[in-house]
Parts: sequence; structure tokens; C-alpha cells
Amino acid sequence: MFSSVKTIIIVVLLLVLGGSPEAWGAVGCDLNDPDRDVARLFPGSTGYKTVYVSIDRKGGEPLLAKVETRLGDKFHGIYETIDVPYTIYEIFADKKKIGYIHGVNQKGQFGGIQVFVALDLEGTIKAFYIQKMTSQYAGKLRDAKFGRQFIGLTLKDFEQYDIISGKASGKVEAIKNPAPEAEADFRAALRATKKNLVLMDEFVYLPQAASSPGGPPKQ
Amino acid sequence: MITKIQVAYKNLLRKRVRSLLTLVGIALSSWVLVSLLGFNNGYKTALSKDIDNMGFQLMIMAKGCPYEAATMMLKGGTGLKYMKESIIGEVAKEPEVEKTTPILMAAAFDPNKGESGGVAVYFGVDPKTFSEMKPFFKFRKGAWFREENAYEAVMGYEAAELEQREVGDMILIPGKNVQFKVVGILERTGTQDDGTIFVPLKTAQKVFGKPDEITTLGIKVKKGVDSARLEERLYQLQDVQVVSMAQVKDTIMKLISTAKVMVLSIALIAILIAMVGVINTILTSVWERFQEIGILKTIGAMPWDIFKLIWIETLILCTTGGVLGVILALILARVTDVVIRSVLPYAPGGGLVLIDLELVLITLAGIMGIGLVSGIYPAWKAGRIRPLEAIRGEASR
Repeated sequence: MFSSVKTIIIVVLLLVLGGSPEAWGAVGCDLNDPDRDVARLFPGSTGYKTVYVSIDRKGGEPLLAKVETRLGDKFHGIYETIDVPYTIYEIFADKKKIGYIHGVNQKGQFGGIQVFVALDLEGTIKAFYIQKMTSQYAGKLRDAKFGRQFIGLTLKDFEQYDIISGKASGKVEAIKNPAPEAEADFRAALRATKKNLVLMDEFVYLPQAASSPGGPPKQ
Repeated sequence: MITKIQVAYKNLLRKRVRSLLTLVGIALSSWVLVSLLGFNNGYKTALSKDIDNMGFQLMIMAKGCPYEAATMMLKGGTGLKYMKESIIGEVAKEPEVEKTTPILMAAAFDPNKGESGGVAVYFGVDPKTFSEMKPFFKFRKGAWFREENAYEAVMGYEAAELEQREVGDMILIPGKNVQFKVVGILERTGTQDDGTIFVPLKTAQKVFGKPDEITTLGIKVKKGVDSARLEERLYQLQDVQVVSMAQVKDTIMKLISTAKVMVLSIALIAILIAMVGVINTILTSVWERFQEIGILKTIGAMPWDIFKLIWIETLILCTTGGVLGVILALILARVTDVVIRSVLPYAPGGGLVLIDLELVLITLAGIMGIGLVSGIYPAWKAGRIRPLEAIRGEASR
């Protein structure tokens, strides 16, 4: 009896504290028009479900440290914090889950950049989309031709990409910057993509693998 | 010796589930009532604060010009009309005017916002007079522009958060290819200013090709003067419209009050249903104790004693339910706030649900009053039970 009362009190407190706009520490990254964007980024999909996660709730400081290590860079700025809410769109074809769409915010040269990737169930990029970017050269970086270079890439391809030096190898090295004048924004887009894939791995793919009969994959 | 209150309390405990369900009914309806009355209080306070936070009591702008950034967004940044800056001198001559601040609102279309582009809004302001009008502005970091011609920007908290800007970063005006250095980021104010990017007025006039032109003139009126007379005189100026913040407040309150009356009616119906539930519970309990009441009377209980006993049961139910409802309303005030905010087309900053002691006491008194009235009939019925009939009734069962 006492434990159920305690549970009710905790739920009420969570609602009260979580319900205040002031209590939301950081801004997330959502699709502007999910119905339209999901259909466009994931042809063949018939519906989607929205799931909200944050590093804070999923694993706290240890998870943040792990994400930073895998990213090869610290989370910085007052806006890239542990409590940023991430929106994961689970994509369905009828009742069958066929993939995910996930976006992250990234600091660009002249403003915030919002980078979305559509992923299949194995974590391979099926579509790349920069929803927002402020730059004279934004048109070139938001062009479908630039985005197509990311299709087929996985986190494995980005693992060797060094965010600090910008050195890449393999398929990531092959990604061409369509606007050499906007090198900062090009590198910001690559950092956002790597961050996006690392987060999706921690939020979705690793937990899924851990709960599958074969257990987690060896890293 | 056992008191009437203890007897009444024990009677209620005999049918726990029924009493609990009645209690829940009263608690829920009083929760809705307290929250609604709290919303009435809170909305008015928050709206007044929002309007006071504008810093000025009157605004003048060119006729037909939208004065809300939201309107500008809907119109895709078009529809702005301009006045000559010389109007500042004309207005400043008026004896009722304490201060004025000119504003140039400008919108730039950004094709790289989403699939079909979006509008970025900028406020060109005079840092000296504008900051005097907004003494509550606090900088999270940095300060106002250093020069009136500087290519510098101050960002509201949410604008900075969305654009991921820090002091020292650059922003770019889409379409103009002009860069501004961020020199200040404001603390959250809970107003429209949070999403605004402020740039120096002179620079905005130059960048957007509107030399010596403004969209709005904010006017702070001296304390104690008749602002209605000033308004009338300002209307004499050519091609301008005068917007009084008091009028804006009245209009919004009128719009809200219509919705409020409807919801309040629903709350009152809920309370009536709860009260019918109370009557039903107590009446059923009276019929169940028909023989018991008869015995009480045979051993000397007077009709008034029985009446009081039953009445106290009603009172216990209503008071406890009312108190629970108030506690629920207090605990869930912030959740209610979020729900109301998501439904309303416009909600001012700050708490929308304000529950104070006066409101709590009035509601409790109301609930208890209605409870006492609801208890009269069952109590009167119980008081009228004839002892012999009651005992015979039991014998026949």
C-alpha cells in the first residue's frame, strides 16, 4: 500500500516539475512538418511514432562521457547539454517498423543547423536532410546532391572521422564539400551527422542488440 | 463520551467504498472549480504583467500596420508600413509624454528554413531609450550595442537557443548577406522579447533600406496624467493608428471571458452532479440505518439530534472532498497551466493559474455551503423517521 502511494507521489511530482516550461532546460530538434517530411524522407512508410529521449534520462553522466568519447569531441556551448531532448521518429510500413528518423542541433557559423538522417533498422543512412541552416552557401549544402553522398554510410564509416582536425578516411573522406567557402558549416554538418549516429546507436541500436537473443555485438 | 462528529465519521466508514467514491466526486469537481477560478486570477495578472513589461502604455504606428510579430510571420513578412522618424519630435512635445522609443520592425525571408523557407524578424531599436523602457531586461551575458551604427545584435534567450548563438558569434541576415556580431544575450523574460533579435535602429534602417523610417513608436505616459486625452490628440496626427495597451488588455480579457463562462458552467454542472451524489449516498445510508435510527429515537434521541447527525456526515464528506480538491488544484497548478497554454491561442508569460488563500477559503466555503444544503433533505427525512414504524419495518424483513 505504502509503495503504491509513494509511486503516485513520484509520478505527480514528475508531472509537476516536468510540466513547467521553465523546467525544460534545452531545445530539441523536431521535424517542422512530420507528416510531410516523414513521407518524403522515408518513401514507402505509412506512419510514424514519436519517442523522446535524453542522455540525462537514458544514462546520465556516464552515458554523456561515452557519447563524447565515441564522438571524439566534448559537448560544448550552453545549448549542447546533457538534458537536450531528442526526438526519434520510429517509421512504420503498415504495422512493421522499417526505420528511424532522427535530428540534432549543431552550432553553425551563422546560426543553428538542424541535421536529420533517415536510418534503416541496421543503422544505414537512407536519407540526409539539413532542415535549417543560415549561410550564404546554405543552398549548396542543403542541396539533394550533397545529401546523396551520405546515403549508404553507417556509424562505422564515421568512426574514423576526427571532428577536431577534420581528418577523414574511406567513405567519409569521399564526401565532397560543395561550398569550400563554407568549410565551417560543412564540418559542422559532418559533426552533426556523427553525433546523430552515435546517439542513435546508444539510444536505439545497442539496447536493441543487447535485448536480442544473441546479446550485444562485440565492439 | 463519543461525540456526534465521531458517530458521523464512523457511519461513513461503514461503507468505505461508497463514501470514497462520493469523496472523489466532490474532490474532482472542487479541483476543477479552484483551477478555473485560479486561472481567472492568474490570466489577468499574467496579462497585466506582460503588457506592463512592454514598457510603454501607448504605441503609434502607420495605419494598417500589423504590430504583432506573429501577424508578420503569418503574412510572410509583408504588410509592414512605415512612418517618418520626425514623428518622434511631434509626439515628444505632448506634455503627457514622459519618454518615447522608436522601433523598426523588419523581416527577412530565409529560404533555408525548412522546406518552404521561413521569416526571420529583427527589431531595430535605440539602445538608450529602449533599455529605459525595459528596465526588467537582464543580460545572461554581454550588454547592449556600443554604438548606434554598430553591426551588433542582442538576442532574446529563445532566439539565441534556437540559433545556438553565444556572445561573440556572428549572425547573418538572410538575403542581405550582412553579418552582425552577437554582443548580448538576454535572460528569459517569458514575453515575446525572448524570441526577438535586436539590432541598432540606425543599422537596421540602413540594412533594410528604410532611412529615417520606423514602424512603431512606443510611448511612456507620465504618472497620473489622462492618457485618454493624449490618445485623442495623437489620433489627430496624419496616417497613424494609436494602440493603447489598456485596450489590448480589455480586448483579450473579453475574448477569454467568453470561453471562461462556458468552462465555468461545466464546472458548476460537475459540482451539481457531485452534490446529487452526496444526497444519494446519505439518503441510501439513512434507509440502510432505518431500524438503527428508530432505536436511537426510542432511547431518547430527538428529531433534531438525528438531523444534526446526518447533516454532519454530509458536512464531513463535502469538507474533506473540498480540501482534497484544493490540494489537488495546488499540486497540479503547473500541469493545468501547461494544458491551458496548449489550448489557448494566446497566453501571456508567467503562471496562468494563481491560487491564493482568499480563493481557497471562498471555494471551501462555497462547497461546504452547497454540502449543507444537499444534506438538508436526507437529514430531514432521517429526523422524521418514526421509531415504531422503523422497528416494525425491520421485523417484517
